[in-house]
Parts: sequence; structure tokens; C-alpha cells
Amino acid sequence: MESSENYNFSIFRPRNVHGRKNRNVILTMLLVWIVAVFGFQFLLRAIEKPVPEKALVTFEKLWPAVKTGRVSADDAKSFLNSLIMARGKGTLKTDEQKVLSDVISCFSGQMLTEELRATLTSTISEIESLRLMLPALKDQEFLATKKRISELSNSIVVITAPFTGIEKGTLESEIFKYTLKSDYPGTLNDKSFEGLEDIMKLYMTHNQSILTDTKFLGFPFHYFYTAVFLLILFIGLCIVYNILIEWRLKKQGVVE
Amino acid sequence: MITDMKKIYLIIFLSLANLLNGFGQSLTQLEGSFKTGPAIILIAILITFVLVGIFFRAKDPADYYAAGRKISTVGSGMAIASNWMSAASVLGMAGMMYGFGYNGLAYVVGWTGGYVLLLILMAAQIRKYGKYTAPDFIGDRYYSRNLRIVSAIFTILISFAYCVGQFGGIGLMFKWILGLNYTWAVIIGSSVVLLYTLISGMIGATKNMQIQYVIIVVSFLIPTFVMAFKFDYFWLIPQVGYGAAVTDIVQGIAAPNIAGGEALLNAYGHDLAIVPSPEFAMPWDPSTGTSFFQWVAICFSLMVGTAGLPHVIQRFYVVPKVTDARWSVVWGLFFICLVYWTAPAYSTFGRLLSSNPEVGSLAKDAIVVYTAQLGGVNGLIVGLLAAGAISAAFSTVSGLLVAGASAFSHDLYVKVINPESTPKTQLKIARIGTVIMGLAVTIVALLKLGLIAQLVSVAFSMAACTIFPLFLLGIWWSGSNRAGAKAGLFAGIMVTTIALTYFIVGLSGGRLPGQEFISYWLNVWYFAWFGAPISIIVNIVVSKFTTPTPLEIKKFLAEQVHN
Repeated sequence: MESSENYNFSIFRPRNVHGRKNRNVILTMLLVWIVAVFGFQFLLRAIEKPVPEKALVTFEKLWPAVKTGRVSADDAKSFLNSLIMARGKGTLKTDEQKVLSDVISCFSGQMLTEELRATLTSTISEIESLRLMLPALKDQEFLATKKRISELSNSIVVITAPFTGIEKGTLESEIFKYTLKSDYPGTLNDKSFEGLEDIMKLYMTHNQSILTDTKFLGFPFHYFYTAVFLLILFIGLCIVYNILIEWRLKKQGVVE
Repeated sequence: MITDMKKIYLIIFLSLANLLNGFGQSLTQLEGSFKTGPAIILIAILITFVLVGIFFRAKDPADYYAAGRKISTVGSGMAIASNWMSAASVLGMAGMMYGFGYNGLAYVVGWTGGYVLLLILMAAQIRKYGKYTAPDFIGDRYYSRNLRIVSAIFTILISFAYCVGQFGGIGLMFKWILGLNYTWAVIIGSSVVLLYTLISGMIGATKNMQIQYVIIVVSFLIPTFVMAFKFDYFWLIPQVGYGAAVTDIVQGIAAPNIAGGEALLNAYGHDLAIVPSPEFAMPWDPSTGTSFFQWVAICFSLMVGTAGLPHVIQRFYVVPKVTDARWSVVWGLFFICLVYWTAPAYSTFGRLLSSNPEVGSLAKDAIVVYTAQLGGVNGLIVGLLAAGAISAAFSTVSGLLVAGASAFSHDLYVKVINPESTPKTQLKIARIGTVIMGLAVTIVALLKLGLIAQLVSVAFSMAACTIFPLFLLGIWWSGSNRAGAKAGLFAGIMVTTIALTYFIVGLSGGRLPGQEFISYWLNVWYFAWFGAPISIIVNIVVSKFTTPTPLEIKKFLAEQVHN
């Protein structure tokens, strides 16, 4: 009579030599797979350090002085630039965009003369009203309004450049002219700016290490490894497995 | 027959080519208008699918479920890839990387790495076992009618959850092309895919999947060559060339990128410049709201879920030989990787092109099409890209609906309710099941519960907690018995239920005890990191203390499945 025990098996306890060799191949493949995928991520995690962007370092150095109004013209320009770098982030949430736009508007207003500030505010108001009209316009009217907005925006950059140091045609100017608002808190000590430091830290501190700072084929190395190399490895593992298994089956004369 | 189809296909495209040139249009308006060229491309492709479906339609249940086991290795690989590459791959994945940076890569790795598991642990063994569907295997291996029924129900639920994201993707693309609102776009798109699946069944679907794969790959790759060339990156292999663009995003491009003395502009006329944005590429960046744990949990859940998805497992029943099952995985994975290597390029160029605050952050699920538009790619190529995305969703949905319908008719109706039914009745029931499921999915898709990739990942976690442990232990441990399987499945279902309940309550604004804790650690997008191991452990423990597996099952596994 056949015993049930004769047919007991598991991946760790195969029934015969073929099964044992098969098990070794499978477990080796699994080990390579796990180490390659998760081992690398754990390594990334283990060696990473929170690294601030240059703009954050500038911001943290100057923010206390800026709040008290005791800041030199050059430092003010650097400070404004650090805010613009944060405002240019594509992943900001709407409420965070608002805080940054408000603080940029408020601080840049303080950098100007009173007369210039009044001119700036009226120009921004005009831009804002034109932007509101845009969705309802079509064809030539739409294009003409867009052109007018562009002219007004560029004029803002030109008239403020001596104070802000932001030149027309630069990336900073693109962000600056789009960010400015006509309605914003009158002082940098306003309650709505309490979260500014947290926003700056959140968006300008990044987990970096030698694996993220090294470049390979133009990529940050860790990005290449995960996005490109791992996929190549998966295909390679599959090919190697198939070749090994079929070679073994052929060698042992097994017909599936 | 195949030659005839090739002729029809060629004639349709050649005759349309001239016509379409007349409809090339400026596509700087991202949404809201009817786009003639893309619409014609889409209609031509859909007509082709339906014609192929009619030519290769299912004639009996064997054809409907398993394409008569007439598919070659490379053909099966293409079908696996096409079946696999859904709206989540073509649209959703790039959207995740665009919105969540490095954490989006967990989807790329998770959705490819799972194939290694599938190959070394399951593909050949499933083919050797010789069943048509996942519930067939489970019912037979665990000698249990109840387990067959429960696994059939879960097969339907998994297919259902998977379909929701696909129908959402179809809706988004129909919305973009036809300029309709989302609701009508989903209704029209769903109707078309349902009609197609009913006409063709799986054999038509398998033939179509091969055509769909070619459309998906060609339409997905061309815009990246164009953009890489245009923006002065290494365009011969844009899958590598975009790496320099990633570095540019991390370090920032201070001044307009100059190529040949002219500033590079996007379709809106904006300079290609960006502030330093390391958050795009640095691992689990705090600003993306993601963590290291989430990266690992998502990746693990997707990998394990891949090896437990009924419609993926079902592909191994259609190959003629065991060795074909193995090599079809390799081909399938290679074909999949062609697209997965390319998807990050879209999110990278998308980030660069939307860096100007006036463009602003773009809708994540449509980032692929928007990127091509903003990159100034020819309108017809963008239209082909959108049609390719719809093809991807179509090919997957047809496979899912067939898997769901198979579970309904073959595993529930024929095996449980009416074993005496004729093949004609079985086919009728399969088609009724397809319609019911299609309608229900349409309704849920209209609710817009999440991003495409996230919605699809729910299906993966469900599969990982329920089907995967039963297959893994069923194949690799003779000691896993009926009681263990039931207990393990129950544990998996409990974890699934908890995750889904907290998600639904949270979505409706309610709160349950430990809402934040569960929403983070057992999030609906990745709860399998916990559910799958728990299900396996419970299965093992209960099996150890209950009546052993019958001799004939052990003997069959030892002699037939493991030679």
C-alpha cells in the first residue's frame, strides 16, 4: 500500500536529487532578487543624510534679521532669491504656494521705495484683473490680453530689478513676476507666516548620500539603479533561470 | 486569415494617413476641445480591434477561456505584456513619478519584479497542473467546493478592482480626445470596451493583444525620441538619455537651455528652465509626503500581487507546452520593460516642461499626454499616444472581464450551480457575467476614488492576500491542506476587509478607532505587505494541526507538477 509520507515535499525538503537542485536554483534566484531590490533600498536608507539646499541655508541664516528689518541690501536680495527658489517647486500644495507668494510680495514690497511700491501694486492689480478675464476670451482677444499681461509682467521685473537684483529673462524673473500679488499681509511678522520655516525645511531638505550624488550615464546613480538596472536584472534572472532549468531537465532526460 | 487581417490593417492606416495630415492641429490647449486627428486615429484603432475580434471570435468555451492553447511563445509574451500594460502602466505610473518622485519608482520595480516570482515559483507548475482558471486550481488542489466558490468570488472582485482604474483611464483619454466631460467619456469608453469583449472573447482578445502591444509600444516610444532630440538629450536611447534630464531637474537649469543658439521652449513658449528640485529624484523625499516604509510596502505588495492576479496566472493556461509557459514570461517581461523603461522619461520631461509657474502642476493621470503636448510633439503623434493608452486599457480590461466572466460562469455556474449546462449556455452565462461586471465597474469608475495606479494597486494587494498564498503553498508544500487554506484565506480576507473599510470610511469623512494608524500601516494601496505573510503563516500553522492532505493530491503534485 502506498504511504502518504512517500509524497511529502516542500520547497525546502524536495523528494529527490532533481528537486534539490531545482530548489537550490530557485532559492539562489530569490536571494539575488531580494538583495538586489530591497537590500539596495535599505542601504540607501542606512547611509542617507538630510541635506539642505543652498537656498535653505541662506533662508535660515537671514530670516531672523529679515523679521526685525535689519538686513543689508545684498542680504535682502539673497533672501528674496531663496524664497523664489522655494516658490518655484512644482510639488507645492496650494496653501503653501499662497504663503510663499504672500511673503515674496510682502518682502519685495519692503525692498522698494514707497512710490515704486504703489506703481507695482497698481500694475499687479491690473494683471490680476486681466487674468480673471482670460477664460472668457477667445482668438485675437485672448492673444491680445495674454500679450498685455506679458508686457505688464516684464515691466514689473524691469522696474524692480535695481532693488531685487532679479534680471529680465532669468528663471527667477519668471517665477517672481508670476508670484507677486496685490493683496498680502503688511508685515513679515504676520501670523500667516508662522509656518514659513516649516515649509522651507520640508521642501528644501533632501535625503542624500554618495549613492544619490554619484552620476552614472547622466543619472543620479540610485535612480539609474532602480529605474533602469533592476529591470535589466529581472530579465537576466528569468533568462538564467530558464536556461539552467532546461539544461538540467535535458541532462536528466526529463520530458515535461 | 492572419494575412487578410494584415492587409485590412495596412489599408486602413494607409488610407487614413493622408486624411489625417489635414487634421494636424495645434494642441496647446490641454483639455476641453474636440481633437479631430486623435479622434480619427482612435476610431480606426477601435474598428481594427472589433474586426480582429470578429475574425477570431470564440466558438466554444475552450476558445473563450484559454484561446484553444494555440498561442506561440513570443505571441504569448506579447499577449502577456499587452494584457499587463494597462492604463496604470501607460498613464498612471508616469503620473506617480511626476507627483511623488522616487516613490513612483516603487510601481516600476513592483510591477516588473513580480514576474521573477511568477516565473520561478509558478508559471511552469500552473501549466503542468492543467486547469483553466485560478478557482479551478484552488478548488481542485484543496479538494473544496467552498474554496472554489470563495476564490471565484475574489477573482471577480480582484478583476473588478483592477477594472475600475482602467475604466478611469479610458474615461480620461476619451475626455481628452472628444472634449466631453468625464462622466460621458467613461460611459462611452466603457460601452465600447464591453462590446468588444463580448464579440471577441479571449481568442479574439489574444490576437488583438498582439496588435495592441505593437500600438502601445510604438505610440509610447515615439514621443520620447522626439522630445529627447528636441531638448538636446541623448535621443537614440531616450530610456537612458532622460537621465541627464533627471540630473538637470535635481541641480536646476538656471538659464534657458540653449541648443544651436536658440532657447528651447515648450509648446507654450516657455523657457526650459527649472529651480533645483532634488525632491523629484531623491529617495522618499519628505516633501512628496512619502516614506521609506511606503516604498518598500508598495513594492512588495505589487510584486506579490503580480504573482497572484487571476488574469495574469490565466495567461499560462493558453500556451501549448510547459517550456512555453516559462519563455513566455521572459518575452512578456522584456516587452513590458520596453514601456517601463520609458515611463520615467515622461514624468521627467513633464516636470521640466511644467516647471514654469504659469503652466503649473498638471493632472497626474494625464501627464503622459500633457508632456507630449507641452513638448510640442506633433498633434497626430500625441493623438496616437492617447489611442495607445486606450489600447493598453482595452487589452487589460478585455482580459480582466474574461477572467471575471470565467470565474462567474465556469467556476460558479458550471461547477456549482448547473453542472449539466451545455457549452452554449455556458458561453451565454459568461457573456451575461461580462455585462453585469462591466456596468458595475462603470458606476464605480465614475466616483473617481483615486489615481489610476493607486486604484489598480488595490487589486494587487487583494490578490496578494487571497490568491497568492493559496497558489504558493498549493504548489510548493504538500502539507498545505483544506483547513489551512480556509484559515489562511480567511486571514487574508480579514486584512483586506479592514483596509478597505478604513479607506471607505476615511473617504466619506468618517473616523474609526485608530483611523490614522490603519490608514498609514494598512493603507488600501499596499496592505499586502502585512496581509500576504499573515495569510501564509496562518495557512501553515493550521495545516500542521489538522487532517493531512489526501494521498491522491500529494501524489499528483509530486509526480505531475514536480516531475
